[in-house]
Amino acid sequence: MPASAENQDRIMEDPRKMVSDALVELGAANSRILYISSDSSQGASGGEFNKRFPERHFEFGIAEQNAMGEAAGFALCGKIPFISAYVPFITMRCFEQVRDDVCKPKLNVKFMGNNCGFSVSSLGPTHTVLEDVSVIRSLPNITIISPCDGPEYFQAIFAAAQHEGPVYLRMHRMKTARVHKDDFKFIIGKGEIMLEGSDVTIAACSTMIQKTLDAAQILADKGIMAEVLNISTIKPIDRELILKSSTKTKKVVSVEEHSVVNGLGSAIADVLIRDNPVKMKMLGTEDVFATVGGYSEMLDYYGLSTVKIAASVEDFVLKRT
Amino acid sequence: MQKLKREEIQTLIEKSYKCRKNILKMMRNGEGHIGGAFSSLDILTVLYNKILRHNPDQPKWPDRDRFILSAGHKCLALYSVLADQGYFAEEILWKYNTFDTPVAMHPEEKRLPGIEFSTGSLGHGLPVANAIALSARLDKKNYRVFVVLGDGECAEGSVWEAAMAAAHHKTDNLVIIVDKNGLQVNGRTDDIMSSSPLDEKFKAFGWSTRTINGHDFGQIFDTLSGVPFEKGKPSCIVANTVKCKGLPYGEDKYQFHHWHCELEEIDNAINLIGVEMGKELDKVGK
Repeated sequence: MPASAENQDRIMEDPRKMVSDALVELGAANSRILYISSDSSQGASGGEFNKRFPERHFEFGIAEQNAMGEAAGFALCGKIPFISAYVPFITMRCFEQVRDDVCKPKLNVKFMGNNCGFSVSSLGPTHTVLEDVSVIRSLPNITIISPCDGPEYFQAIFAAAQHEGPVYLRMHRMKTARVHKDDFKFIIGKGEIMLEGSDVTIAACSTMIQKTLDAAQILADKGIMAEVLNISTIKPIDRELILKSSTKTKKVVSVEEHSVVNGLGSAIADVLIRDNPVKMKMLGTEDVFATVGGYSEMLDYYGLSTVKIAASVEDFVLKRT
Repeated sequence: MQKLKREEIQTLIEKSYKCRKNILKMMRNGEGHIGGAFSSLDILTVLYNKILRHNPDQPKWPDRDRFILSAGHKCLALYSVLADQGYFAEEILWKYNTFDTPVAMHPEEKRLPGIEFSTGSLGHGLPVANAIALSARLDKKNYRVFVVLGDGECAEGSVWEAAMAAAHHKTDNLVIIVDKNGLQVNGRTDDIMSSSPLDEKFKAFGWSTRTINGHDFGQIFDTLSGVPFEKGKPSCIVANTVKCKGLPYGEDKYQFHHWHCELEEIDNAINLIGVEMGKELDKVGK
């Protein structure tokens, strides 16, 4: 399928707009909701919240260690702070604050990593972080959500606010095609079958859901029926769904715009190796720092374009790799 | 301003030295960060007995003043003071250094009443404390937040990130006391990474500052009674202290930052503490 054809007749939504709308709606209903930024509100999801509720928006400048500690302090006082910054700064710069001050005491901090994956790949590898799930997933008490489309982003914000404890929300910059119907209901920890199939399970999240659904179409044309799972909650992962689908298909491919080292694929492998050790292939970046380039170029280079995902899955199913 | 009466100072000295003795009894179970505990103990004694609005029977009373021990390794001082205040039975102290103890070598909120926030990794306390102070503003409450930092701890960048933030947000219900004993794990702070002049640094960051003798009970009380020093500014007190104050052969020695004492030393050390207490009481007169 040519790339230009992929977006035809699709409802495209800006994740930042969806998150911003959700936060404003939440903020209007609940005075405990705060927005914390590190010079990161306008380009992200906090601009409208700031306009509506300026007394509940706290700007802490380019100082994420302090900002994360402040979020913990607010949560300790019963607030529900949503804290937003670029992925590298909100996961790694302040990792120890996330560990000691947020996760260990299981505080109600919701931290949003802006521009995950190749969102801003032209900025180079300092800003293109392919290890955020890897490092955050190692922490006890954390929930990690990586939504795939507008409705899921919107609902994930509400779910995060209701959830007691820390939540890491991965925010992509690219507009996403809506893949969910109006009656969709997001539940933390629950994956979903986006497409039923019998020959191979393809488990993905975030931007890779649309790519995988398109790849499944290519595969179907070749007689390979793929089952596509949206594993938007990476931790805690939906063991039941993964085991059920893999029992049926006996082959699993994970697809993520992230390193294969301790990301979604590893989380799925953890489930399979214990309870259903079927053949598995992981698609994502290998153990590397990203190069520089435009978004589509990066997906193609790292084998995550629709065509390359389809080819990799086909090779795997036909035992060519 | 109301001053402490001589009898009040005597009582504070007796309490402070009783806490030192209890810390030594705890150390019958092994090593501990005695140096920073003893240097900060007089400050904590004044805080809990004379300054903080708190209720040991209701540790989570919403209107209480909060105390955060950012230099968490000084927690032997906090444990002994909390026990003296009645937050928990003194017997809890003797569980120090045992498996799954409520009184660990760094304080944990969920293990013991009276601990506001778990600390241990340096540089984490002030950001949390600033947000607690800002929450008072959001919730229209009058409580204040007091934080004890170490001078070695002030090498951590997050301290200065938070210092900048507190001044920016005009958090004038936030008070820090730097326990400036001049020593850290490996030697003199001025040799390892000089943090001086701390008062001028905090002033340059937008704080209102005072410098005091951290073992002069009257001065500690007078200064803490005067916060905020300026409306719209957080307050910083640089307290010059002596590491391991009260145990003569450990005073001003970095080797007593974390003391691996022998069991047979403890009784002698307790006796020496008693002698030192007598000297302090003599200073204020009968």
